[in-house]
Parts: sequence; structure tokens; C-alpha cells
Amino acid sequence: MALTTRPAKSTRNRTLADRAPAVRKAMLPYGLLLPALIALAFALGYPLIRQVMLSFQEFGLAQQFGRPPEWVGLQNYRDLVSDSYLWVLVLRSVVFCLVNAGLTMVLGVAIALLMRLMSTPVRLVVQAGLLIAWAMPVLASLTVWTWLFDTQYGVVNWILERLGGDFAGHSWLIEPMSFFLIATLLVVWMSIPFVAFTVYAALTQVPQEILEAAEVDGAGPWQRTRLVVLPSIRPVLLVVGLLELVWGLRVFTQIYVLQQAGGVTRETNLLGTYVYRSGIGEGEFGVAATVAMFMLALTVLLTAPYVIKMIRDDREMA
Amino acid sequence: MRVKKTLGLALAAALVLSACSDDGDDNSDGGGGPDTADIRVWINGPDTPQAARDWLKTEFEDANPGSTLTIEEQEWEGLVERLTTALSSDDETPDVVEVGNTQSSTFTTAGAFSDLSDEVGDLGGDDLLQGFVEAGSYDGSTYAVPYYAGSKYVFYRKDLFEKSGLEVPTTLDEFVDAAITLKEDNPDPANFSGFWFPGQDWRNGVSFVWDAGGDLAVEEGDEWQGTLSSPESVAGLETVKTLMDQASGAAKDGNEADAQVPFCNNEIGMMSVPGWMTGLIDNADTGCPDMMKNVGVFPLPGSDGSPAPVLLGGSNIAVSANSPNQDLAKDAVALMLSDEFQTILAENGLTPAKTSLAPLLGEDEFAQATIAAATDARLTPPAAKWASVEGARILEDLFVAIANGGDLAELAAEADEAITDQLN
Repeated sequence: MALTTRPAKSTRNRTLADRAPAVRKAMLPYGLLLPALIALAFALGYPLIRQVMLSFQEFGLAQQFGRPPEWVGLQNYRDLVSDSYLWVLVLRSVVFCLVNAGLTMVLGVAIALLMRLMSTPVRLVVQAGLLIAWAMPVLASLTVWTWLFDTQYGVVNWILERLGGDFAGHSWLIEPMSFFLIATLLVVWMSIPFVAFTVYAALTQVPQEILEAAEVDGAGPWQRTRLVVLPSIRPVLLVVGLLELVWGLRVFTQIYVLQQAGGVTRETNLLGTYVYRSGIGEGEFGVAATVAMFMLALTVLLTAPYVIKMIRDDREMA
Repeated sequence: MRVKKTLGLALAAALVLSACSDDGDDNSDGGGGPDTADIRVWINGPDTPQAARDWLKTEFEDANPGSTLTIEEQEWEGLVERLTTALSSDDETPDVVEVGNTQSSTFTTAGAFSDLSDEVGDLGGDDLLQGFVEAGSYDGSTYAVPYYAGSKYVFYRKDLFEKSGLEVPTTLDEFVDAAITLKEDNPDPANFSGFWFPGQDWRNGVSFVWDAGGDLAVEEGDEWQGTLSSPESVAGLETVKTLMDQASGAAKDGNEADAQVPFCNNEIGMMSVPGWMTGLIDNADTGCPDMMKNVGVFPLPGSDGSPAPVLLGGSNIAVSANSPNQDLAKDAVALMLSDEFQTILAENGLTPAKTSLAPLLGEDEFAQATIAAATDARLTPPAAKWASVEGARILEDLFVAIANGGDLAELAAEADEAITDQLN
């Protein structure tokens, strides 16, 4: 996107000198945008419109198989807003999202900074390890994780038992807090490689001369990191942080698989799994679409400060 | 150059997307479908024995040259969700599906299955298990036909019973006492179960509720009402709690799948499982054939000494309404209800879909337990939206919470509210 907007700016600069032909020229970038917009409209627009429509309908299993749906106006919204369970879910999801995105960012950036200081062979080993964690199919790795924490035969309980703890038959998933601890572990473990790789790539672009100059000026390692390195990779950090927030809010697979393995479903639902359970599980597609609308609003709300900051940064650079 | 590439990519993307959104032809005209096709049959869990699968594939392909039949095994866990998504897609729908008897009504009322009313007579008519035909019927038409039945009964370790000086229990009280005694007499391993009762296993738990005179939900007027907090139901749940606390070493939030693993690992004195569990234990790959000499069975006894009411397990089969191969799919259903196919099921401990074939179960201990367990078998409430209760995992949550030591009356009241909410 950044690439396509640039020509537009340079054209605008020229319009000061010669207005009329420039208008025609200014149309060209928009024309070039059109195919992408059409593709986006198909891929994102249609499902979104369908979701909005669904949220105003009573749409159940029978409708899924062809019976015409009934329009119910704002009924779905009214039902949900007055359901205290939704607000519990919203709070739970936001906290889970912030904790996970925060942990992932801190640990991911720390690993990226660390990678700069590693000797090449060590770094390659670390990168290979990260890559494997990143490339592993989610369900496969989740199956292994649930085995590790299995109540009866899990190796984690076995080790803790050998170390003298009372962990025989300890269920890691039955208490919601413990459930979310494991879920956080899985989500963070899976997300770190992306952050570490992206930030590491950005770090390699920080000019060595600036760092040397800062060192000559007497800046210590911490000051150099905080005042030189991090500000120069700020745009990357913003984008990665934004993505982590969005992903943290719509987390689904990890929670769903863990719920299957144990735990109390109602006490461990997040918005993502609730949309699935009410839509696909209970056949209430209208209600599920309404919850999804809440999720969308929440995502926009949570990421708005980020996006505004990014746009502002973009303007400052231009 | 770059412009061209972008345009090309965008065009390609647009083409792919429009291809995806192509709904394909509507099959609602009721056409019988092509003469040859690949028929996909969804079978759930390991219940259907391999011999029956092989027979079905061979017979179908011999009878319909040019067509093939593929069996795709699904997990019971999460089946309602998977059927909901798969059956509503013209392109992805399997042609024939097995569905749990208690899950049938959700799909028959929604119009997900083809009308089989005209075929019922040829498939067995009055000889078919009538309870299952009813579960598969809606508004006077039959959409799903019985596949097999089977209620759970108790598997126990004869050697451990002997060691503790126990007799086969004849009442529910004796059963509970035996379970607790077994647990006390076998302190090693620590997770040994006198009676194996994983927290999510409400399908066994409901037996104790029914035995005490309680129920899951009842219809009052036009409304369904959860009844787990009635005094009778709570009394049943007390028994559940006693067993979970004092006799079970199973995971408090575990599910009832793969019971043969702890059983073969010497961790179980008694467990209530489907009859086809014998096949899994008596198989070197999945179980421990050496253990078979120690395995005994009996139907779960009720308070009054006769077999306790147990959940009538079993499946229906149906043809997906969206399947383009209606005729071939119906042929496959006919084969699955044929005497030959049902005989294989009966020989493997599953109650066949036709009452006339029931004697094929044999006369051994296992057959007698199968027949006795079915004497007071019951179904989940016949509410159209019952599967939603299962989809929301309300009962799993309730029993896990009981295993975890919550307040019974409070938990039961919460579950009632959730059930009432789902059913209406």
C-alpha cells in the first residue's frame, strides 16, 4: 500500500505548476488501485456484508438448509447486550489479548536483540528452532502440548512429581486461571518466531555508523538500544504490535483444542470460541454474527490508537 | 512491467475468488444424480468393525460398476459442528452420514437429510428398531434410519473382584460400595479407579439421575424445562459425586474416549462402556488380549435390583439432502441395512438395526449383558433443539464441575437454566 500512495503525492506536488493535465494524471493511480479494491471487495466485503445482514436475522440451522430467514431488527443486539455473559467474555478476551500480545512483543523483541549478539552458528541454531516452531502445523503441535500437560500420563506432571511436588493426576485445565496460563504459554510460544524474525530483519537495517557515533558520544548499551535502535525500528514494531493485538483478540484454535482436552467450556470461552459454539455448535448463526460484530468493533477500538499513530508517523516521514 | 504484473495478479485473484463463490447447481429438483460417482460415507469413531467396512466397499463397488465408495471416519467429539458445516455445502457434503441417535432430530427438523419415507419399507419396515426410526422422523416423514444400537454395560476385572472378596453387585448401593472397596484395596497406581468416571462423561452420569427418579428436561406445555435441580435429580447427582470423589481416579475434566488405555494399564476395576470395547481390548494393536481372561461384564444394577436405566446409545444413518448422488447414496444405505452387513455388526457386539437379527448377538455373557442393559434404555429428551445442549457442552461442564467439588444444588440450577435457554 505504501508503494502505491507515493506516486500520488509526487503528482500532487506538480499540480501547483500545471493544474488541468495533472487531474487526468491523478486518475491513473486510482485506476491502478481498482483491481486490488475489487479483489478486496470480494474477499472481505462480501463476508462482512453477509455478517452484518445475519446479525439482523433470526438465522438457525433450518435457514442454513434453505428456509427463508426472518428479519428481527436489533433483537439479536438487544439480547446480547443484556446478557451479562457477553461482557464477561469481552473483558476476558481483552485481558487475554493484551497479556498475550504484550508478552509476545517483549519476548520476541528480546530474542531479536539477542540474535544480533550471537555468533553465526549459534544464531543459525536459534533461527532454525524458531522456524520449526513457526512452521509446525498448529493442530499437530497442540496435540503434543496437550499430551505434555495430560492429567494422567503427561510428562510435565511426571517430572514435577519426581521433583517432589504433589502433581499426580493434577489437572492443568480444570481451573480457568490455570487453563489460561497454559493457553498463554501456547499462544506466546507460537507467536514469538514471527515477532523475532521480523524485528531481527528490521534490526539488520539499522545503520552501523549511527550506533558507532552514539557509542563515541558516550552512550551505553542500554541507552543505545533505547534511544537509537528501538526508535529507528519503530514503524516495524508498530505494525507487528498491531498484528499481535488483532491475533490475540481472535485467538481460537488453541482455546478450542484445550477445551476439548479438558476444562470447563463456559468458564474458558473467549469471543472467538463463543462465536463458533453459538454459531456452528448451537446452530444460532444470527446470534453468532452479532457476537462477531462485537468482536469487530472491539478490534477497531483496541487498534485505533495504533493505527492513528502509524498514520501520523507516515505523515511525519513524508 | 510492474503494472502488468499487478494487474495480472489482481485479475487472477478475482478469477479465483469468483470461482470460489460459484455455488454450483442446485439439487433441489430431486434428481437421482449420475449413474456413477464416488460416494463418501461418514462413519463415526471405531464402532463399525473393519470387516463391515470392507464388505460395504466391495459390495457397493461390485453392484455399481464405475462408482467407488470411500469411508471417512469422523470423531464423535465435535460431530454436530462438523455435520452442520459439511451438510450445508453443496460441494463438500458427504453423501451418507452416520449420526448419533440423540443428534438426529436437530438435522431432520432443519431439512439437512433427504426424505427416506419411500424406502423405509424396503429397508426393513417394522423390523427396524422403532425408537430409532422415531428419532429420525419429523412431521410424518422419515429422514434417518437406524444403523445400530448399543447401551453401555459394566466391564469389570474378575481377578481384582476375587482379591477384594467381592461378588457381582445386584443393586446400585452394592455397586457403589464395590467401587469404593476396589479403590481402597488398590492404592497403587494412585490414579486407580474402582469405577472409572472421567469428568465429562455425562452419558454414564445420567443413569444415576434416572435411577433416582430424576430427568434431564421435561416438556411443560409448549416449553421445555431443565429438571436437573429437582430433588430426585440432585439425589442421583449425589451418587455421581460419591463415585467421582471416592471411587474414580480418572481425570476430573477428562472425556470418556479410549477407556481401553487405562483399562489395559491396570488402572481400572470397573468401567461402563459400549459393547464394542471388547473388540478394542481383544486386539493386540489397540488393547491387551492377555487381559481378556480377567474381563467380566454385567449390566449396571438399579436401586431396585433390576438393570438401571441407561442411555440408549446407537446411531442413525441418513442421506445428505445436498448430495448430488441421491440414488447411489440410497443404494449404500440399503447395503448398510442389509442382513449381511447387520450380521457383521451383531457378531461384533453391536445390537443390529433389525429386531429379527438380535439373536445373532449370541448367548455368552456379553450378549446377555447387552440384552439386559437394553431392558430399560432411555433417550435424551425428544426436544428438537436437544443437539444444541450437546453443542454448548452444558452437561460436560456440569459433570466436570461436580467432579471438581462444586455445590451440587447450585450447579444443577445453573445447568437447568442453560438447558431451558437452549431448548426453547
